Amino acid sequence: MRFLAISNAILFIYYVFSNVIYLGLLIVAISRNVRHHHRLGNFRFELIKASPFTPPITLIVPAHNEERSIVSSVGALLGLDYPALEVIVVNDGSSDATVDKLQKAYDLRTARILYIADIATAPVRAIYRSPLEPRLFVLDKQGAGCKADAINAGINAATSPYVCVVDADSILERESLVRIMVGVLSDPDRVVAVGGIVRVLNGSRIVNNQIEQVRLPKRPIEVLQVIEYLRAFLVGREGWATFNMLPIISGAFGIFRRDLVKQVGGFRTHAVGEDLDLVIRMHRHLLEEHLPYHINFIPDPTCWTEVPTDLKSLARQRARWHKGLIDALWPNRDMLFRARYGRVGWLVLPYMWIFEFLAPVIELVGYITIVLAMVLGVLSRAFFMQFLLFGYAFATLISIGSVLLEEMTVRRYSDWREVARLLLYCLFEHFPYRQMTMVWRLQGLWQYLRGDLQWGAMKRVGISADPSG
Amino acid sequence: MESVFSAIEKLGPAGLVLRAILGSLLGIFLLVGFIVLRRWYRARYFRRRSERTVALRARWDEIVSGKIPPTDWRFDPLDCDIVESILLDNIEMSAPDGLPPLLNCLRVSGLLDMLIYEARTAHSWKQRTALLALGRTRAREAIPALVAGLDSRSAETRIAAIRALGRTAITEAAIPILDRIVDGQLDAPERSVKNSLANCCRSNPEILVRYLEQARGPVRELLARVLAELASPGLGEELLVLAADALPEVRASAARALGNTNTSYTLPALHSLANDPEWFVRLRAVVALGEIENVGKIRILLRSLCDANRHVRQRAAWVLARMEPQLEQILDDVVATNDDYALQSFISELERSGAIENIAGLIAGSGEGSVQTTLREVVERAKKSVELSGKAVAVAAGAH
Repeated sequence: MRFLAISNAILFIYYVFSNVIYLGLLIVAISRNVRHHHRLGNFRFELIKASPFTPPITLIVPAHNEERSIVSSVGALLGLDYPALEVIVVNDGSSDATVDKLQKAYDLRTARILYIADIATAPVRAIYRSPLEPRLFVLDKQGAGCKADAINAGINAATSPYVCVVDADSILERESLVRIMVGVLSDPDRVVAVGGIVRVLNGSRIVNNQIEQVRLPKRPIEVLQVIEYLRAFLVGREGWATFNMLPIISGAFGIFRRDLVKQVGGFRTHAVGEDLDLVIRMHRHLLEEHLPYHINFIPDPTCWTEVPTDLKSLARQRARWHKGLIDALWPNRDMLFRARYGRVGWLVLPYMWIFEFLAPVIELVGYITIVLAMVLGVLSRAFFMQFLLFGYAFATLISIGSVLLEEMTVRRYSDWREVARLLLYCLFEHFPYRQMTMVWRLQGLWQYLRGDLQWGAMKRVGISADPSG
Repeated sequence: MESVFSAIEKLGPAGLVLRAILGSLLGIFLLVGFIVLRRWYRARYFRRRSERTVALRARWDEIVSGKIPPTDWRFDPLDCDIVESILLDNIEMSAPDGLPPLLNCLRVSGLLDMLIYEARTAHSWKQRTALLALGRTRAREAIPALVAGLDSRSAETRIAAIRALGRTAITEAAIPILDRIVDGQLDAPERSVKNSLANCCRSNPEILVRYLEQARGPVRELLARVLAELASPGLGEELLVLAADALPEVRASAARALGNTNTSYTLPALHSLANDPEWFVRLRAVVALGEIENVGKIRILLRSLCDANRHVRQRAAWVLARMEPQLEQILDDVVATNDDYALQSFISELERSGAIENIAGLIAGSGEGSVQTTLREVVERAKKSVELSGKAVAVAAGAH
């Protein structure tokens, strides 16, 4: 009985803390967003594009068995609105015709360029360049079974001061690079990395690998992910970035200073969550060296990505994300509560351990002990119901807050009905979706403890011209 | 008065949670209400704005000429905002002879004075917006207000002032920036300063030379970099002085500038820079050589093709592979260098440009035994080079 009472008290405090932190992040994110929009109002993107001093960017596209979409993806990337662009496609040991398709489309020819692997990678078999498109390089390398290795090969071959990693199956908006560079150019001496927002592509109309019309997906499971992505990026990342504690820049869309990525040894090969791992190591390196820096997040440069459409794929993805989280936190556990790592060691990493990594375990324990306490009479039934209702209402409030942020930033859902649907789904996100996510994350934890670090395939519907088709 | 804590204590846990529920529900209703209201307001605002824009556009010529007195639109906030934005867009796009009537409209209507007032007295983003709008007017009387922004304590306001001065594209607007950076009194991102200076000094780059004489260290590098973008044949000897500068970044900028000035001194100066101890200066010199029309550059480029730095080699190869009429001779010269890396870079660029097939055709058609031998030799050497590069990759890859 005493154990249950103590356990319930701890859970109560945990829950209050978690909600207060998220509410704080929401308030900070809203205020930062308003400021960013005022700043953008005075920015002229065409001046950045016309300036001879705009730094070049290398887009690195790791591709593994992407024959279906690689040509259109590369075409779309080369069509991005940025004045100094280099695109490096890294074919990571594909067993399909990824390179052949590119070879045909761009008349690729072998280039006898000396490739120096500053960051160790699996051997590069050939480097191709195109007489039709001088900005395109294709690296054909032996597969190493991980995306990080392919990205590292791209970083070795890159020639620009900034590199941007983009998934071959994602779509960048035409102005996204100029917009993300606003985050760099505002303070180029200090800003070492900038993340943009990744949003759900499912349901939207695509023409020539560009978003023609943004629409909400039809399946509830996809709509719930839309809200989840909005909350994670517009509230979580925006909030942490305000205090220079951004722990992750999405692997699907982020820009990094190339020299710094090289200094920290590139992306960790075989890391499950290579993006999270890199950003934490960057924080570590810069704090250890006492270098002034800022890792930024900008809410309007958008990358659209396909999310799982079935529960099985979603479960695999969430399990993998959780494995990635543990895989990045564990090697950096020595950063916790150490003065030299400042607020990263004292705030964001403990937050990630307690409110992200341990969250599914604590939630599960919470459900069990609260039900037990209620059954055994330690907890009043009325209080339990009230607490449950509060938890639900508060979590819904945060979800609606993220929809508000979407409205304030890019406002991509122009139709009233779409917004109404989004708001409606905010009511369903916390039951039963949240509980399902908890189970998947627990699976990820279990797999990690068992040493299963496989990625697991995701079933993709593919980028179609018409979502209704 | 009882404390907050004792009030909470009195409520008990159940009462507290009940209030929290009510608070959350209220929050939800407020957020949803805000979203709905915001949508409704924005739709209404943009509809009205479109209607007014159409109406004002229909009478645009009269508004600019002053036939419609400014009092008709100036005191309606929406109309005033629309006219201001159209005027500023037109000023940015107009040719010099189209500018006076637009500026006159700004002056007569008092819009310019209003912007100057806001740039001087407003705070935060409102001040920054006014500064940038003022810069877009390209009016000389705006410069003092913009210069005042350079001394702001807010970094964002300083940046806005720098950008606004750049937007004026008036040479005089560069002087306050130059004075401050040379004296080390301007703390702003380098890129904003460079862009502004480039815009303001475009018609008169000589002004930069004057300040370059006084500047030292990073400021000197910055000014040289801007000058490189604006260089014209008129700059002459100043560029030669920069080409011999002690700072490698300045020499690199000089090389960049020389690429825009195809005069008698260009080739000797670039020749000297192509032998610079710093690789990036040599690279810049090679890039500049690619931009000038002078067959004398082939000799320099052949030397650069054998450079110790791969970027320099590749760039030299890129330039040489695009010198179509002389390619056959260049190939012979490259083979004669006996440098495998040079040959590899050159063949690679020939392949990429598609010129390798033309060359092979030319050589096969010539029927000269010696040339056929040369081609065979080239192929053998290229193969060997690939093996070499493969080894280099393997060595560098280490673990693999």
